[in-house]
Amino acid sequence: MKNKSEIVIGKREATTIIIALISTQVFLNYPRAMAESAATAGWILSIYATVLTLLLFFIISKLYSNFEGKDILDISEYLAGNAGRIVIGIILIIFFTFIGAVILREFGENVKLVSLSISPISFILLFFITGMIVGAYAGLEALVRFSAIAVPIIAAGYLFILIGVSQYFDVSRILPILGTGPIEVFGKGATRISTFAALIVLFLMPPYIKTHKNFKSVGYWAIILSGIFLTMGTLSYLLVFPYPIATESSLPIYQLARLINYGRFFQRVESIFVLIWDASALLNLSITLFLIVYIFKKTFKLEYYKPLIIPFAILVFNICILPRNLMTAMDMEIKYFRNYSSIVTFAMTIVILLLARIKQRSMKKERKQSG
Amino acid sequence: MPEFKIKLKKLLFFSEPEKDEGFILKENLYDKSEEERNRQDIENNSDKKPSPKSTRNENILYNKQKGEELDGKNVDKSQKDDKQNKGQKPEISKKLSDNLEYMKKVYTIPINGDVILREFDITIKDDTIEAFIIFFDGMVDRKLINEAILQPLMLLSNLDIKGKFDDIASYISKHLLPQNQLKVVNGYKELIGEVNFGGCGIFIDGVSIAFTADVKGWEHRNVERPNTELVIRGPQEGFTEVLRVNTALIRKILKDEDFIVENMEIGRRSKTPCSLLYIKDIANDSLVNEARRRLKSLKVDYIIDSGELEQLIEDNTYLPIPQIIDTERPDKVASLLTEGKVGVLVHGSPYALVMPATLTGLLHSPEDSYIRFPYSNFLRFIRVMAILLTLLLPGLYLAITNFHPEMIPTDLLLAIEASREKVPFPSVVEVLMLEISFELIREAGIRIPGPIGPTLGIIGALILGQAAVAANIVSPILIIIVAVTGIGSFAIPTFSLAFSFRLLRFGYIILGAMAGFLGITTGLFIQGIILVNSKSFGIPLLIPFGPRTKGAATDEIIRAPIWKQERRPDSLNTKDDKKQPHISRRWVIKKRGE
Repeated sequence: MKNKSEIVIGKREATTIIIALISTQVFLNYPRAMAESAATAGWILSIYATVLTLLLFFIISKLYSNFEGKDILDISEYLAGNAGRIVIGIILIIFFTFIGAVILREFGENVKLVSLSISPISFILLFFITGMIVGAYAGLEALVRFSAIAVPIIAAGYLFILIGVSQYFDVSRILPILGTGPIEVFGKGATRISTFAALIVLFLMPPYIKTHKNFKSVGYWAIILSGIFLTMGTLSYLLVFPYPIATESSLPIYQLARLINYGRFFQRVESIFVLIWDASALLNLSITLFLIVYIFKKTFKLEYYKPLIIPFAILVFNICILPRNLMTAMDMEIKYFRNYSSIVTFAMTIVILLLARIKQRSMKKERKQSG
Repeated sequence: MPEFKIKLKKLLFFSEPEKDEGFILKENLYDKSEEERNRQDIENNSDKKPSPKSTRNENILYNKQKGEELDGKNVDKSQKDDKQNKGQKPEISKKLSDNLEYMKKVYTIPINGDVILREFDITIKDDTIEAFIIFFDGMVDRKLINEAILQPLMLLSNLDIKGKFDDIASYISKHLLPQNQLKVVNGYKELIGEVNFGGCGIFIDGVSIAFTADVKGWEHRNVERPNTELVIRGPQEGFTEVLRVNTALIRKILKDEDFIVENMEIGRRSKTPCSLLYIKDIANDSLVNEARRRLKSLKVDYIIDSGELEQLIEDNTYLPIPQIIDTERPDKVASLLTEGKVGVLVHGSPYALVMPATLTGLLHSPEDSYIRFPYSNFLRFIRVMAILLTLLLPGLYLAITNFHPEMIPTDLLLAIEASREKVPFPSVVEVLMLEISFELIREAGIRIPGPIGPTLGIIGALILGQAAVAANIVSPILIIIVAVTGIGSFAIPTFSLAFSFRLLRFGYIILGAMAGFLGITTGLFIQGIILVNSKSFGIPLLIPFGPRTKGAATDEIIRAPIWKQERRPDSLNTKDDKKQPHISRRWVIKKRGE
């Protein structure tokens, strides 16, 4: 790892990293999950979650204004010394290890489902793990640059699919417009901000994106663009499949891609989808692995992070093959990730920032009194 | 009769075989003791911090030198001491006989056949002064030596020349040597360097200096068409093996006094002359310094071609993608220099090196700027397609036929299946077999002696094209795929870039056969990450994509019309980043005003 001052992440690059982490869910089961909890109003729920996240981010960015260039670990150290940093660091490591393992398993299982049905899951995971290790070894600079190149390509492929299925759109399928009802959508739906849990990456980035202005614009852009991608996917899915069918598919966007039909020759282009899908998975997973080792390094003030990569890759791999099958893995995701991840990202961050601010004020007062 | 008896005796009785030992290269002949080796290392790395051991060695050297001084110019030393002397830069002696003997020693004169040492007398103002010249036969222009050195010194020195006469040395250099490049040297080292590189050394009795005249005149190839980078529009000159001809070819195009040709020698023994090229008021100083630092730091024995130098100064040896542009076109070097890049020419190599390289830059051909805007963009598009085909086509074929057959429309699937029906091998074996034999033909085509070259094409086409299909070893569709892949690799303008994609193609074949699209995506991801992480002379290889820089649309990916190319590449941070004003076609304004 180079010196902090040497690496500067541009706004665009930082935004793409966060988009890569958040929007990958649309390739997994996000549209179906939306359909399950809000029926035909899934897309409204998606917009609602985005707006809520924007509000939360507004609060966080206000609180953050005094801590320019400091990440959440620095702030927790300021608040409670080494103990604070280590506690928060360990929470984050567990958080990312869990997310990484679940996403790895889901992607692996889905690839198995779609194209490599005879191969054992461990063989498929081997490819992902190799990609993750190489990505983490290459380091932060390479990952952000690569994501700045790859995310637009993946987004283009994704849009291609959505445009391709537009001929099947039927507006009557998203009626009744409020789905399961406003209480269900706007009340229970608030927990959906967990979708944006990966935003916590942004709170680890300030040392690299320098100014608070950049921090704000990266945050807003990333949330808005991810929100658009997620909502577009959900909306198209709900417009194409009627509600009862929509709750059953385990690979919503793949199901959409299967319908694409450009003339007589290009009838089954969903395999192209496998390409962008794998690419987004690899990008997401290698960033996650890098974050795990980066946080570990920073938490324990180590000098190098590279020796940690292989042990953590093995750890993630082992955790990811613990669930007996895809259903158990998805169950884990639904039970834990969707309910509690927002606590880590938003509640924890806000509490830390508030406390740090109070400490800052009291110290200022003390200084004034003494001076 | 007695002879017959002896022969009979030899035939019947045992006699010890004569010792008929051939030549054996003894292993320990030049083996050095550990101490000596250490000393040599220290001499070589004199810039390193002196360890206690080395100071001791320095003392030894110092003592030796002292001893020599006491003995006067003792030339009867062992060869080892000569080497020492070479390194110590002994001064040229006033006595001609000392110089003569020293030169004989250095050049091993009676044994070394192509060194010519010619002794003669110069007559100046009724004085006769002894002198000799030394040069390598074949490396010099004989006529020049006869007419510009020997004739004036031997004959014309008798003439009554008007002018001052201060001392012999300046008189000779000012009046008697009508040679345009004459150098005065004090030390043997410099003189020997000149003579080794086609110069002529002139020694005169009673003078403690010597002259060297540049009379290079060896046989060389003329300026011809470039062999590997042909264009339809544009200059048709290529570099040759002679450094000065090459620098002149570039200067002829640039016609700029700020174009600097910095000379340096690389190679401890070969002392290969190299030139660092840059335009003083465009190129970034730190880039020039870095190139100079890398070149000067090299400690090698011999450098023969720029290909060797490329491997010694590139950033990452293990990366398949080349990180330095090599070209044999002076116009390409010139245009890259005007962008702010730095070039290196090596004597004896018709390829110039230009750095830093970017992946998009490696895809450019000089022709891009010579032909009109729409055509050049079409060519660029074709080249990108060529790369994708070369790299991915066989891998994609395997992935699709083995793992994603649903992608293929039914009619095509039936056609492929029908053609594969009788082929006994799995498709990956088929692909590898055909690809390897294609590579074989390609390699053989380069190594094959000229006259039988055409036969190879016939054999290759016959065996691969016809017989293999007829014998049901490969399917005809695969032949099309391998042929397209091969053609794709020929369309890549940089030879070494095409090489890297040819090599990586095999990786994608294996990945595609192992896990279909997942394998190929993983391969692309890993390749992308590695590429994005690599640099050429401090500049990321994937500029202008990662990191994103300005000007991607002017001449990096697509080429804007020539009047829109206003700025030099952003990544090079040049001293003068403007190529032309916003409106370079002034006639446009004039027309509006009218």
